[in-house]
Amino acid sequence: MEQTLTYKSIDNTVLDTLTPPRRSYWALVAVLFAGVLFGAGCWTYQILVGIGVGGQNNPVFWGTYLINFVFWVGIAHSGTLISAILHLFRAPWRNPIARAAETMTVFAVCTAGLFPFIHLGRVWLVYYMLPIPNQRTLWPNFQSPLMFDVVAISTYLTVSSLFWYTGMLPDLATIRDRAHGLRHKIFKVLSLGWTGEYEIWRHYTRGYLFFAALATPLVISVHSVVSWDFALSVVPGWHTTIFAPYFVAGAIHSGLAMVLTLMIPLRVIFKYEAIITTRVLEAVAKTIVFTGLIVGFAYGTEIFIAWYSHNPVEVESFRWRAFGDYALEYWIMVTCNTVIPLLLLFKKVRTSIRLLFVISLIVNVGMWYERFVIIIGSVAHDFLPHAWGLYTPSLVEFGIMIGAFCLFFFLFVLFVKHMPSVSMTEVKETLHEGESHAG
Amino acid sequence: MKIAYALIAAGFLIFIVVALVGNPARAWQAYLLNFLFFSAIAQGAVLFSALMHTVKARWSGPLSDVAESFAAFFPVSLILFVILFLGQQHVFPWLHEDLHGKEVWLNVPFMFGRDLFGLCLLYGFGLAFLYHRLYFTLKDRGASGPFGSWLLARWDQHPPDEARLASRMTVFGILYLLAFALVLSLVGYDLVMATDPHWYSTLFGAYTFVKAIFIGFGALIVLSSLLHLSDRNGYHVEENQFHDIGKLFFAFCLVWADFFYAQFVVIWYGNIPEETAYVIERTMAAPWNVLAWTVFIGCFLAPFLILLNRRIKTRPKAMTVICLAVMTGIWLEHYLLLGPAFHHDAQSIPLGWVEAAVGIGFLGLLAAAVISYFQQFPELLHGGDVNRLKVETIHN
Amino acid sequence: MPADTVSIMGIFDSENSAASAIDRLRETAWTIEQVHSPIPSHTIEDALEPPTSRVGWFTLVGGIIGFFGGFSLAAFTSLRWSLIVGGKPVVALVPWFIVGFEFTVLFAVFGNVLGLISQARLPRFETPPYYDERFSADRFGVLARCSADEQDELTRFFETNGAEINTDDKL
Repeated sequence: MEQTLTYKSIDNTVLDTLTPPRRSYWALVAVLFAGVLFGAGCWTYQILVGIGVGGQNNPVFWGTYLINFVFWVGIAHSGTLISAILHLFRAPWRNPIARAAETMTVFAVCTAGLFPFIHLGRVWLVYYMLPIPNQRTLWPNFQSPLMFDVVAISTYLTVSSLFWYTGMLPDLATIRDRAHGLRHKIFKVLSLGWTGEYEIWRHYTRGYLFFAALATPLVISVHSVVSWDFALSVVPGWHTTIFAPYFVAGAIHSGLAMVLTLMIPLRVIFKYEAIITTRVLEAVAKTIVFTGLIVGFAYGTEIFIAWYSHNPVEVESFRWRAFGDYALEYWIMVTCNTVIPLLLLFKKVRTSIRLLFVISLIVNVGMWYERFVIIIGSVAHDFLPHAWGLYTPSLVEFGIMIGAFCLFFFLFVLFVKHMPSVSMTEVKETLHEGESHAG
Repeated sequence: MKIAYALIAAGFLIFIVVALVGNPARAWQAYLLNFLFFSAIAQGAVLFSALMHTVKARWSGPLSDVAESFAAFFPVSLILFVILFLGQQHVFPWLHEDLHGKEVWLNVPFMFGRDLFGLCLLYGFGLAFLYHRLYFTLKDRGASGPFGSWLLARWDQHPPDEARLASRMTVFGILYLLAFALVLSLVGYDLVMATDPHWYSTLFGAYTFVKAIFIGFGALIVLSSLLHLSDRNGYHVEENQFHDIGKLFFAFCLVWADFFYAQFVVIWYGNIPEETAYVIERTMAAPWNVLAWTVFIGCFLAPFLILLNRRIKTRPKAMTVICLAVMTGIWLEHYLLLGPAFHHDAQSIPLGWVEAAVGIGFLGLLAAAVISYFQQFPELLHGGDVNRLKVETIHN
Repeated sequence: MPADTVSIMGIFDSENSAASAIDRLRETAWTIEQVHSPIPSHTIEDALEPPTSRVGWFTLVGGIIGFFGGFSLAAFTSLRWSLIVGGKPVVALVPWFIVGFEFTVLFAVFGNVLGLISQARLPRFETPPYYDERFSADRFGVLARCSADEQDELTRFFETNGAEINTDDKL
C-alpha cells in the first residue's frame, strides 16, 4: 500500500470528511429524501387502492418488485464479500474499501427488505410470516422457499448490521478522543468505552475472525436461497440446478459494480486518493472480470443444456428469451454483463477512473435487466401457449423503484458525512503489513 | 520409483486379463472411472499453482512447486483418453439407446474430437504455463536434472526477454483457469452425465470441476506432507502454509457439498420424474444408497467436523490420512455416479477387486509421472521461494 | 494498587518499538499491566504471547443451539397440523437443512457477540488510568509497574527505548 501514508494522515483525511457539511450536501439530501417520499407516496397509493395498480397480472405475477428485491439483495453481497471473504484471504486491497462496502451491504439489505412487503397486496397481514403463537395455532410453512427467504434475509440483515457495528468500534473511539462536548458523549456511548487495550483487541480479533468465517457461508446461502425462490418451482427457465452459484456470482458482479459506483465519487469528493488508490480500484475491476466470466459461463450452460435436454418447453423458453418480445432486454443483459466487463482486461481501461465509473453503471444496468429477463422472461412464456402474456411495469411501480434507489443513496449519503466512511484502523493495519511482512 | 512401475504393471496386467478374458465391460468401466478420477487430481493440483500465480499470493511458494509436478501426468492422461475409446462399446450406454435427436451431439466421432481438442487445449495451456514457471525457477536455483540442464542451456544461449516471459506466464495461467472450467465441464457432461442420456443438470459441469479442485488440493496436501516429512530431500513447508492449504481444502469440501446440495434440493423439490429418477436411484434406492451415505459421511460430514479444529490442519501426518480418506470417498462418489448407469438392475453394489486393481494401476501411473518430474527437476524441492518472490515481483 | 508500587506509562510512536520494549520488559521483574494500541498489531501480539481467546466457545455453543433450534422450529410448526403440502413429506429434512443452516449462523453470531462483549468486558465507561487520547490515533502505550524505589530505573528504561513518559494518573 502507499508508503506516504501515516497514521496521522489517515486519521486526518477521514476525520476531515466528518466536518459540518456545506449547503450542496444538504441540497442533495433533500432531493434524495424527496425521492423517498415520492416512492412512499406511490406505495401508500398502492396500499389504499390495491395491488392492481402495478403491472403484474396474469400470467406475469412477479414484476419489478421482485426484480428490485433480487437486485438489492445482490448488491448487498459484495459488501460482505469484501469485508468478510477477503478478510479470510488476507487480501490487502480490501482494507480501504471495507467500511463503505459493509455500509452498502446494510443499506442494500434494508432497501431489499422493503420489497417483500411492497409486493404483498395486504401488507398489514405480513405478520402471518412470523412463527408466533396465535389463537388459531397457525404457523408458517417452513418448507416454502418464501419462508427460507424470511429466515435468510432476516439473518443476513442482523449479522451484517452486527458485523458492521463491531467493525466500527475502534474508529468510533478515534472520533470520541478528538471530539468535545455533546459529540464526545455520543461517541463515548457508541464506542462502548473502547480503550484499545490489548485485552480487548485479543477478543476482538478472534470475534472478528469468526464474524468473517460465519458471514462467508451466510452470503453464499442467502443468495442461493433467493435463487431457490425461482429454482424450486417447475417453471421452465427457472427450474435449473445452476441457479444457486449463478445467482451468487451475479450478485457479487452487480455488487462490485455498485462499489465502484459509490467509491469513485466518494474518493474524489472526500479526497481519498491516497487511501483508495487506483490499485485498489483495479483489484475490484479484475474481480468484476472474473464474476462476469462466471455469469457468461452460466448463460452459455443454460442455453446448451436447454438444447441438450430436448425438452420442447425448455427449448422454446430459451429461444423466446433471445428472439421473442423481450429480446432487447436479453441482449442488453448479455452485452452489459459479459461483453463490456471484458474491456477491463485492458490495463488502460482499468486504470481510467472515468471508464471504470461508466462500466460500473453499465454492469448495474445489465444486472437489473438480467433479473428482468429471468423473472419476466420465464413466467410470460411457460407451458401453455394459451397462457402466454406480456408485462409492462406501471407508473406506480416506477415510482416505487425511484423511491427505493433514492432511499439507498439517501441512507448512504447520510452515513458518509456522519460516520467514518473509511476504516481508519484497517488502513493503518495495511501500513504495517507492508513493513513487517518479509513475504 | 520401482514400486510405481510395479503398481502400473499389476494394474495393467489385470486390466488386460479382465478385458480380454473376463468381463470387458467391467474392465473398461473401471478404466473410465479411474481415468476421470486421476486426471481430475492432476488438473486440480496444477490449478493451485495457476491460481496462486494469478492472484499474486505470497504464501504458497513451495506448495506451488509441488503442485506443478502433477502436470507430468497430462501427456499420460491424454494417451489414456485416446485408449478409452477402444472400449467405447462398454462406456457409452447411449450407443445402444434411441436418443430422439441427441445423436447430433452424442456420437463417437464428435465426442472424441471435441473432448480431445479440449484436453489438448487444457494440457497445452498447463504445460506452457509450466514452461514459463520453470524458466524463473531454474534461473534462480540452477538445474541438476538432465532435462532441466538442457532447458537452462537453451535459455542461456538465447536469453529471452524476462518481462515478456513473465506476462506470458500470467496469460497462460489465466488461460489454463478458463480452459479448466470449460473443458472439465465438457468432460463432465460428455463422459459422466451422458451415461444416462435422458437426464440433465445444468450445474453438473461446474460440479465436476469443483470436485477436481477438491481432490487436486487433497493430493497436493498428501504429496507435500509426504515430501516434508521425508528425510531424503530438503523440502520444507512452514506450519502456517500447511494451515492455509488445509483451510483451502476445508473450503472446497464445503463448496463441493454446496454444489451437490444445490442440485439435490432443486431436483427433490421440483419432483419431476424426468429428473428425479437419476437421483433416487443413486441416493435413496437400494443398493446404491449405502454408497451415497458413505460418500456423504466420508467426504462432507467427517471432514467438516474434524477440520474445524485449527491444530489438526497444521499436522502433516493427520492431514495426509484425512485427505486420503476423503479422496477415496470421492473415488467412490465417481463410482456412485457412473455405476447405476452401467448396472441398472443391480441387487448389490458391484464394486470389487477389478475396480481397485485398475485404480492402483492408474495410481502407479500418476506416481511414476510425478516422481520422474522430480527426478528431472530436483531443485523444485529446494525451497528458495524468497528469491522467487523477488524475481517475479520485478516483472509484475 | 499496592501503596509502594508505581505505574509508569511509556508512549511509543511505532508498533515495533513498543513490541521490542515489551520483549525486554518481560525479561525484567517488572509487570506489564496494560498495552494500548490503535491497531490489532501482530508484532505486539507475538511479544505478549497471550492465551487464545475463549470467544470461540460462545460462538460454537450458539451455532449448535441454532442448528437444532432451526430444525426443531420447522418440525414443530409442521407437525402441529401434519398437512401434506405440494406432495412433500410432513417432516422434510432436505429443505429444512436451509432453515437449520441460517439459524446456525444467526445464533453463532449472537454467541460471538455475547462472547466478545463478555470476554472483553465491554461496555466500559470509566477511562482507564494513564489513558492518552492518542492511543486511538497513532501512539502505542505500555503501562508497567515497579516498586516505588525503582521508579527512576523504569523511567530510564522507557526513555532508552524511545518512549515518552506519563506518570500522571488521569482518573
